[in-house]
Amino acid sequence: MPAPVRLSVRGSLVRGPQRAEIYLSSEDMAAAVGLSPARLARLVQLGLIESTDAGGRRFTAAAAARLRRMLRLQRDLGVNLDSAAIIVDLVERLEELERELTRHRGR
Amino acid sequence: MAVKFRDYYEVLGVPRAATADEIKRAYRQLARKHHPDLKPASEKAAAAERFKEINEAYEVLSDPDKRTKYDALGASYKGGMDYTPPPGSSWTAADTSTWNEADGFSDFFASLFGRAGRRGGRGGVRITIPGSDVEAELPVTVEELLRGGRRRLQLPNGRAVEVEVPPGARDGTILRLAAQGEPGLNGGPPGDLYLHVRVLPHPRLRVVGDDLEMGLPLWPWQAVLGGEVTIDTPDGPVTLKVPPGTQGGRRLRLRERGLPRPDRRRGDLHAVVRIVVPERPSAAEREAYETLKRVGGVAADRPAA
Repeated sequence: MPAPVRLSVRGSLVRGPQRAEIYLSSEDMAAAVGLSPARLARLVQLGLIESTDAGGRRFTAAAAARLRRMLRLQRDLGVNLDSAAIIVDLVERLEELERELTRHRGR
Repeated sequence: MAVKFRDYYEVLGVPRAATADEIKRAYRQLARKHHPDLKPASEKAAAAERFKEINEAYEVLSDPDKRTKYDALGASYKGGMDYTPPPGSSWTAADTSTWNEADGFSDFFASLFGRAGRRGGRGGVRITIPGSDVEAELPVTVEELLRGGRRRLQLPNGRAVEVEVPPGARDGTILRLAAQGEPGLNGGPPGDLYLHVRVLPHPRLRVVGDDLEMGLPLWPWQAVLGGEVTIDTPDGPVTLKVPPGTQGGRRLRLRERGLPRPDRRRGDLHAVVRIVVPERPSAAEREAYETLKRVGGVAADRPAA
């Protein structure tokens, strides 16, 4: 088994395990999904992605995963972001059901 | 060094004479069927492998230059046949694996168009493709939610990572580890690692939001008369005042002894009273209960429901 990779904290020289993020600022979110802050703000305004506050300044890591997924689907399947949002909703429900099924079987 | 010839037309299921539109349509249909983002976790890995092949075929057949070069190999090859790159080809690695995991394209692809990332390769390609995100479960104990902790974890792609559980994590929380997913191709950014927190069952503690719950078994006389009891909390032993006349199911709250929250405060710990009767009372106990029975000056034979 390979030795575990020690993850370093982003933007600093500290070595050691990376503290995982639960929340992202709007700047971090824009960088995480590869969009300009203005474009991100527009997507929040359109309701395509949700921030945890009213002003679109704080996002969950789950929202980052979701938006990245939507952008991949847009690129690979040629669907628009509204459709990608619906698709991601459905897949997330499927995953939720699958997790529940696994829990039930595990009992 | 021979590599296996890949029949990209076969992968996309189109004839060699297919038009650009037909190729695009075939790709879109296959992408819809095999895109890993459309698959639940259990099918993701298999779909990702298949999607890689589809992407590679589309990468070649959708680009007129690459398609011409590929077609020049002629119909003399069939999928799976050994293919020996011509001398002077950019592909030189003594690498017999079918897929090069570092860049996501097959050795066959590299033999034709150059190993991505190798600068100035003859006929090399300069396409950048971002690495895919990796999702995995992160099992954590209630103690780790309380005190934080480092978890070693083997990812689906075989890599091991060490993660620090941040305070404020709960069951179902998704954690992001930036740029710790699959590496990108040819300078493309790496994917992210997303971890789904799953809290392991604890023998004594139950997580309810930010709060914790634990059982507090009491003898009947402790519940009736009240008094002080010492309980083992996650922070260590704590003396708790039980009020006289405590009923079973009553929740005694210990403020800020629950899970840490992002605002640096903590949830509460609830001790839930359960009254336990002695199964084998001693003779003296029995006599005491008989006395209780006689003096229990209530007319009804049992408490009201």
